[in-house]
Amino acid sequence: MEDVSSRIVEKAISLGCQDAIADVITNRSYQIRFAQNEAVISNRWRESTASVFFVYDKRVLASDIKDLTQLDAAVERLVKIAKASQKNPDYAGIAKGPFRYARVRPDPKVLSLDEGGKYVEAAISGATDQGAKECAGSFWKYEDEHFLATSNGVEAHDHRASLYLSIRALVSLESSGHGIACATKLSQFHPEKAGGKAGRIATLARSPKPGKAGRYTVVFDPLIFGSLTDQTGGRLGAWTVMAGLSPFGKKVGKKVASSQLTLYDDGSAESIARKRFDAEGVPTRRNVLVNKGVLKTYLHNTSTAKKSRTKTTGNAGLVSPDPHAIFVKPGDRSRDEIFAEVKDGLWLTNTWYTRYQSYVTGDLSTIPRDGIFHIQKGDVVEAWKDIRLTDNLLHLLKNIEALGDEPEQMMWWGEVSIPNFVPYARIKDVGITRSAE
Amino acid sequence: MEEETDLANFALDYATTKGVSYAEARYEHQEQENFILKNGVLDALYVGQDRGVGVRVLVNGALGFAATNLRTKADVRAIVDDAIKVAKASRRKTKITFAHEDAIEMNWSIPEQRKLADVPVEEKIAEVQSVDRDLMALGLKIPARYFQFSDNRIVKYFANSEGSRIRSYSPRLRVLYFLTVAQDGQVEQTYRNYGWSGGWEGIAAWDLGKRVIDEARSMQRSLVEGKKSPEGKMDLVAGPQVAGIASHESCGHPTEADRVLGREASQAGKSFIPPDGIGMRVGSEVVNVVDDPTVEHAIAYYRTDDEGVKARRRYLYKEGRVTEFLQNRETAAAMHTRSNGAARAVNYNVEAIVRMANTFVEPKDHSVEELLEDVKFGVYMKSFMEWNIDDKRYNAKYAGREAYLVENGEVKHPVRNTIIELTTPAFWSAVDAVGKDLDFEAGFCGKSDPGQALDASMGGPTIRLRNVYLR
Repeated sequence: MEDVSSRIVEKAISLGCQDAIADVITNRSYQIRFAQNEAVISNRWRESTASVFFVYDKRVLASDIKDLTQLDAAVERLVKIAKASQKNPDYAGIAKGPFRYARVRPDPKVLSLDEGGKYVEAAISGATDQGAKECAGSFWKYEDEHFLATSNGVEAHDHRASLYLSIRALVSLESSGHGIACATKLSQFHPEKAGGKAGRIATLARSPKPGKAGRYTVVFDPLIFGSLTDQTGGRLGAWTVMAGLSPFGKKVGKKVASSQLTLYDDGSAESIARKRFDAEGVPTRRNVLVNKGVLKTYLHNTSTAKKSRTKTTGNAGLVSPDPHAIFVKPGDRSRDEIFAEVKDGLWLTNTWYTRYQSYVTGDLSTIPRDGIFHIQKGDVVEAWKDIRLTDNLLHLLKNIEALGDEPEQMMWWGEVSIPNFVPYARIKDVGITRSAE
Repeated sequence: MEEETDLANFALDYATTKGVSYAEARYEHQEQENFILKNGVLDALYVGQDRGVGVRVLVNGALGFAATNLRTKADVRAIVDDAIKVAKASRRKTKITFAHEDAIEMNWSIPEQRKLADVPVEEKIAEVQSVDRDLMALGLKIPARYFQFSDNRIVKYFANSEGSRIRSYSPRLRVLYFLTVAQDGQVEQTYRNYGWSGGWEGIAAWDLGKRVIDEARSMQRSLVEGKKSPEGKMDLVAGPQVAGIASHESCGHPTEADRVLGREASQAGKSFIPPDGIGMRVGSEVVNVVDDPTVEHAIAYYRTDDEGVKARRRYLYKEGRVTEFLQNRETAAAMHTRSNGAARAVNYNVEAIVRMANTFVEPKDHSVEELLEDVKFGVYMKSFMEWNIDDKRYNAKYAGREAYLVENGEVKHPVRNTIIELTTPAFWSAVDAVGKDLDFEAGFCGKSDPGQALDASMGGPTIRLRNVYLR
């Protein structure tokens, strides 16, 4: 496959392109979806794709070549289309290699894992042991290989494999909990714990009462705090800022969050999204995005970096820069301390459907799901239902009061779109609304 | 024999030698062009061709699915083996079955007055650029704007072990845009999304330039003249875009049978409607909400679904009561009924599950003026920006983008950020009149794992709600 990447790049250059990138990806992932406590379908994939990026006289073209048996014809066609396209004056080239990369290999035990049923059963047992009646979710073995070549001297390989399980446990329609297990090593994969957590929350959430609107101090479980940090990381891509889709525009160097919050992106760190290089072949690395509440940088590829007179952060996607994995620097509170300091507030465990009224101001709402709890003096006094978190992203970040000392890796179905390493968090003055009957 | 029939039929022949009780093969070839015009600059042009085969088998009452884009017989044989292997490993206690369907042989395609494939990409770019130029000629302060154009030409061949053989061709066109208009330190943002099944003539049918300019002007007016929206109980006149999103979110999603049965519980969620909820009252007697794949030119038009079942109109709510769930063959068997042709997959490489197509409030006969004329005090919300709904589809929120105060039947000044935050029955029970100005917008409907963001459209005429709480 190295040959395929290089051949694509050489062909594009021979046809007059100034810059070319080819990332040949083989996907051998495997999944079990389950519901009502048993598998509903199992899926396997055998796919190979060349994701390519060609630039002819600042005319930028991206594509996925799926038929690798007729490469020359595909490249010729694409370059012809690129020549007919229009110049992008903002385009400023791709990174100059070669680069040196960290040596990382996937866990052989993950690679050889061929059957996930026992992990699904472990997760379901973990939940039903806690009193759950109905479980649904997904088990994934992700496996893909990347063979990258660029016209600027990059030839690189990355073999990625990881395990993931997401489980929702229900006692009834309105009493549910969610748990997540992520690992790059088989020995660190604990679906039974994810099931146990989902089951405990579901059981605790029995007989929920309609919630009350107001402003509350809220304990964010890692899964929902991960949604908040995922929103933050996703809004810090330079392209996103330029498109008017971020409240962080013109805020580099300014206070955007509580001094409790230090947040970084790191594609090189151990996570289920670990990667050796970005789409331009730049080695991934740690980039501090928010340091003690102050915004330090946006995420860049070579083009957005040049426009902003800075350097790439190693976050190139084929077109726009994106975060790889978000990390929150742990705080100094234990989980119990986070709760104990709440006199009268809420504990939220999960959310979905985060939407903005204005991306520029950060006005948003999101719908807590699974366990929602009213807490007084640190203890759960009642389960709630049917509330909405209606607030502002910057306001939420600025009101972080305390962070837990044990971050967990969270990723979940769109809402936490990439791995976010997040602890428990306590945020004051959070707006809660509810539907009128 | 053409590649699609050759590979799909080969997959079926091979699967049936392996003792499966059911097998199907879906070959799909998608050709896409997609570009983003960001702040007047063509950011990147994306051109893609994707084709491959997905095979689904039913073995011992369990489903297995596998897919490949490596289009050799050896690879197709390998995915059949994969699908059977993972199905056998499922060890289900309850057996999955499929509701009966007669085998059909059919060829269908959506006509194009001017084929999308014949329109040079330069012309497509120029069309969107001309809209952008006209927008900027208004002289408004628009600090951020982007337009995304995409077309997709989809060839499918479906074959199953019961004898169905179906070929289809669906050309689709979509433009979405996002604008930020600023004035005196305030900003207003909008997002609109238009879709079409057919050829390049869709661009003219949308009248996109006029729509974009009208939208920008209304944003400017809202910034200059807009006042705080009133709070309390009042009447609401909701335009087609608002009726459409409410149809999709609080009628279409809760009537998806897989959601009702818990198959989506971990991702898109469940439903406030129980499996025995047919007949349950959700709205007033004037509320009819349908999902219809056969609406001509709507982006989710199809004549057969991805299980080879003929498409038809489905009444989700009729006269305010739940009438029908959206079904595929698996859910239909579980509910002892028949599929109504709602199985769709975003591509060959994912399973077909229960999906909406084009979901809308069925129009009646009032003009917008008639709906407004006896509103003493209320809000006329023509469009929304922020929205969401809980995972049982009971608590929804729609935040106004273009909205106006209404007093004694007259439309007054713009009001900003009007919030509708109502339960599903509260919303639909308050509807007392339905207009005739049916209009659609496109959307991406998200569901399943791996996520399938599928072409869908939603719409309705203007509707009137009495005495609802707004803020």
